[in-house]
Amino acid sequence: MQKRSKLSIFIFIFLLISVVFPLINMLLQIDFSNNSFQNLITSGAFKEAMFNSLFVTSIATVISVLLAFFLSFTLNRTNIKHKSILKLLITLPMLIPSISHGLGLINLFGTNGIISRIFNFNIIGSLGIIMGSVIYSFPIAFLIIDDGYNYIDNNMYDTAEILGLNKWQTFKKVTLCYLKKPLLSSFFAVFTMIFTDYGVPLAVGGKFITLPVLLYKEVIGLLNYSKGTMIGLFLLIPALISFLFDTFFKDYTSSDGETKKYHVRQNKLRDIFTKIGLYFVIIFITVLLGSFIYYAFVDNVVLNNRFSFNHINYVFASGITDYIFNSLFISIMVAIFGTIISYFTAYVTARVKNKFVKLLHLLTICSLAIPGIVLGLSYTISFNGTFIYNTFTILILVNIIHFIATPYLMAYNAMQKVNPNYEVVAKTCNISLFKIIKDVIIPCTKKTIREMLSYFFVNSMITISAVTFLFNTRTMPLSLLINNYEGNMMLGEAAIISLIILIFNIIIKGVIYLINRKDNRREYMYEAN
Amino acid sequence: MVSLEVKNLSKTYNKKTVLNNISFTVNDGEFLSILGPSGCGKTTLLKILIGIETLDSGEIIKNGKNINKLDPAKRNMGIVFQNYALFPNMTVLNNVMYALNIKLKNKKKAEEKSLDILKMLNMEEHLNKYPHELSGGQMQRVAIARTLALNPDIILFDEALSALDADNKLILKKELKEIQKKFNTTMIFITHDQEEAFSLSDRVMIMKEGNIEQIDTPHNIFNKPINDYVKSFVQDHLVEKVRSIEKCTGIDL
Repeated sequence: MQKRSKLSIFIFIFLLISVVFPLINMLLQIDFSNNSFQNLITSGAFKEAMFNSLFVTSIATVISVLLAFFLSFTLNRTNIKHKSILKLLITLPMLIPSISHGLGLINLFGTNGIISRIFNFNIIGSLGIIMGSVIYSFPIAFLIIDDGYNYIDNNMYDTAEILGLNKWQTFKKVTLCYLKKPLLSSFFAVFTMIFTDYGVPLAVGGKFITLPVLLYKEVIGLLNYSKGTMIGLFLLIPALISFLFDTFFKDYTSSDGETKKYHVRQNKLRDIFTKIGLYFVIIFITVLLGSFIYYAFVDNVVLNNRFSFNHINYVFASGITDYIFNSLFISIMVAIFGTIISYFTAYVTARVKNKFVKLLHLLTICSLAIPGIVLGLSYTISFNGTFIYNTFTILILVNIIHFIATPYLMAYNAMQKVNPNYEVVAKTCNISLFKIIKDVIIPCTKKTIREMLSYFFVNSMITISAVTFLFNTRTMPLSLLINNYEGNMMLGEAAIISLIILIFNIIIKGVIYLINRKDNRREYMYEAN
Repeated sequence: MVSLEVKNLSKTYNKKTVLNNISFTVNDGEFLSILGPSGCGKTTLLKILIGIETLDSGEIIKNGKNINKLDPAKRNMGIVFQNYALFPNMTVLNNVMYALNIKLKNKKKAEEKSLDILKMLNMEEHLNKYPHELSGGQMQRVAIARTLALNPDIILFDEALSALDADNKLILKKELKEIQKKFNTTMIFITHDQEEAFSLSDRVMIMKEGNIEQIDTPHNIFNKPINDYVKSFVQDHLVEKVRSIEKCTGIDL
């Protein structure tokens, strides 16, 4: 049997065990024969949670996508300077857990928040969830739409001008037409993210219960796995729709990116207006993250406003180093093994042509359709009692599967750009497959590999949803401590945890950025070869 | 002496016959072009000859031995692609040396031989350059050097000149003939370009829908086309030629 076939079968078995089996096993637990399912969907708590979820998700999604569109327009179509730094600042919220966004809002606008105390109001409840969800999700929507601008055929603007189209008509017929897919994609992605997130609602929702919080409370509080599974079924629906849209919606408008550079026209009024909006967002993000520093180093925000190391001393006395070790260990293992698995899966699916690889491709990206909280629940139900339960292995595995789709697609796209004939050359020259992968294909895709490592690491550091049902006191990752401290109103301690996660993620991102920058100087133009 | 013999070779994909019981021979040191439109089966034939595709029935005999089930590496054939397939992270010298070093297990000998071949192909000035620093013609020379370094009995060219501009194509065509004479290597050249096939080859094999229509010298194919298809193929080529001369000279022929 060929090495590539053996590799395909190995990956297929891995995906069967880690994706298909837990999900099907979880769905099989749902008993539709008795009245429990009907009782659930007709219960007041479920109806209220469902309505609440749909309400906050719909509003937050619209705001998030509009905000992301505004920001990407500002960075791509105005004369603003320092675009790469601004882009970095806009995406900073992606480096902390969703629960930290809620925590930041409590720091600023909670019952005793820095700002709300002055104006005597608070945002606990639906308003807080909407604000937190927007902060949590808009960077993702921004990245999708911002990327969409790269594929607009800029020659179309000249054509529109020649045809006498006015600015609004040009915007509608060219810009919006080309951004249709990214906008819809970001809408579905953001809707799914918010609908299935329990971090923000748990932190800032108060008595406003959403569907993921209901699931969390049923499973963690009441150990009612059966009810949790039924709720999980509803959380799968938007994720599934989003997945189907992205997989099967064909975009015929995109060019191949080989278009001329867009020439930004002079328009001072537009530039001033967009600049104010952009800086407002960045200041808001900075203040939100800055509130962590304030809370971390002030003894008591309400009663004793003095600089203090009390919170830091407390978290270190509580053994935070163990949790830091846990998180770093999990994230490094996820980064290494996740990258290896997704890279070789992409190698097989992108460079081997048969029907079996299409199934592998679909299985790998279908993890996009499983929310973290549902995946975690399915692992709890399916692997409870096995040798991996209550170990780091299950936490590493669930994180790999939860985040595998995006790095896999990065590798898949990179592999398709690598010359398709290297393997034939290798075969005729008696070079082994693994040698050609090691000596040629990996060096050709090293930037992608670094991005994959960084993606797995950062997301494993911030995730709470996938691991929330699977940890024990020995394996508990750092991100889950935020929930504990925040629940006990120890906001200073929770702020320190958020800061530590942010710092580690910034370090990793910075290191990858510096290595890539050094590499750019001796860039190999392998795509042209 | 016959270098390669193909007997009654057939291949079917999803019930569609791609190669229909074809037979031909290639002589030692011969330059044979396989010519035909897209989908005629020439690329499948190349894949089967090199050993990366299996055949349904028939025989491939090289130097008197059946090589149907032999690994590509053991067939001692080389391949040169239209898109060069050079390793972008290696210099010109390392591209040529890479496989040779694995074969010889002697870095010094591999380097010496690679240098000799690169010199013969006028690439000595570019030894330490990376592929992206070379022109299309230079990249194709490196790809040929990499193949020649392994001393193959037969080299297969898969539309190897198609990506080059007219000037580079002309230079490389001349060089290919010189290389063939110098190394006395059998060459099988797959192309859809009649100009390339007729100007380079000792014999041309014209294919249509998985069948060989005619295999003969360029002269005989021009003067004695075996059927209407070959005739129209040649006439089209002649008309094309006349038009290009008219365009260049401005004379109405």
